[in-house]
Amino acid sequence: MITTAAPVGRYVDHVMGMPVSLALRGRHTDDRTAQRAWAEAMASLHEADRVFSTYRVDSAVSRLARGELTVDQCPSEVAEVLALGELARRQSDGAFDVRRDGVLDPSGVVKGWAVERAARPLVALPDTDVCLSGGGDLICRVASPDSPPWRIGIEDPADPARVVAVVPVRCGAVATSGRAHRGDHVVDARTGRAPDGIASVTVVHAELTSADIDATAAYAMGRDAARWLRTRPRRTGLVVWADGRREVVP
Amino acid sequence: MKRIVLSLLSTVSAVVLLFGYHTSTSGPAATAQAPVGASLSTTSTTTSSGGAGGSGAGGSGAGGSAEGTGGTTVTGGVAQTRWGPVQVRLTIDTTGTITDVEVPQYPAGNREDEQINSYALPVLVQETLDAQSADIDMVSGATVTSDGYIRSLQSALDQAFS
Repeated sequence: MITTAAPVGRYVDHVMGMPVSLALRGRHTDDRTAQRAWAEAMASLHEADRVFSTYRVDSAVSRLARGELTVDQCPSEVAEVLALGELARRQSDGAFDVRRDGVLDPSGVVKGWAVERAARPLVALPDTDVCLSGGGDLICRVASPDSPPWRIGIEDPADPARVVAVVPVRCGAVATSGRAHRGDHVVDARTGRAPDGIASVTVVHAELTSADIDATAAYAMGRDAARWLRTRPRRTGLVVWADGRREVVP
Repeated sequence: MKRIVLSLLSTVSAVVLLFGYHTSTSGPAATAQAPVGASLSTTSTTTSSGGAGGSGAGGSGAGGSAEGTGGTTVTGGVAQTRWGPVQVRLTIDTTGTITDVEVPQYPAGNREDEQINSYALPVLVQETLDAQSADIDMVSGATVTSDGYIRSLQSALDQAFS
């Protein structure tokens, strides 16, 4: 049995159909300051849900999709998220698209973006290491270069109770996309079909918004995933192929 | 507060991949594609809501908005990022379709954060591990949903530490 050096404060809640898990080490793990920051983070995610959820008929995005609102009548972050989606579409040669058959669904951009925004009050905690996961996409920060890295397990797409790799991250983001995510919902926007030959893609990058988008875009590309990911600046990653082979993208 | 870690990762034969990994810190070649990644990520720092307030970024959300021929142009605020100033502008036509995205300002160069790269390479574990044997803090995966949470590895980790 190992005794722990630094106590870890743990928090869990649910929003947008996903669990949100938080780990804190350092000065503020379970005091009022930490609890307030956690509450702010959750409030930020609930706000994102109100604006972006395609499951809520009254969200700004749902109203935009029905033509009841224009983009500039929506909260300003809607235009921001759409711009991110459009950049991703171009960078992925169309494999990633927030519109399919004319239907707007920016969910592929929103999750990472919303978790990154929600992490701000937590990252601002002084002398505190933070690891925040929103549905398996996460942000890591440590307060000092001497702090040990957060150790992030990458889920085995064939068996979610297991991990296939571990990535130690001090400051950065990790995002994973795969077929198991709420069913078969990621498709190659160019073909409308689920990608072939691939089980999951994990991207490690400085920021979660782009890590999440790239993981989804690479996954949508199927057999081209690793090749494309190599062209992306300052990312590392892991591709798990449908046959179980694992390929680290340095 | 006890950890459930029963065996250290070092007891598992791990494969550390050593091939040609570079930290991409240097040179114009390394920065050639930087604007794209930087602009994607830094637009998110321009949002002003979210509770943290200032954050030192010089950005605001979608700043200017102007009617042009055939649509609306929305220009994001200029965000001061560690890579330099970044700004994104998009044009939306009357049907709500984005017809153009420009990046009027992006960093010319960058100072790569070595800290991120030097620690962020996934280490394959030769045998798959479960929560009981992997010394991990959090799980990144595509199946992490509220429906399946209670049976998940992440749930085990969350409970073990609290």
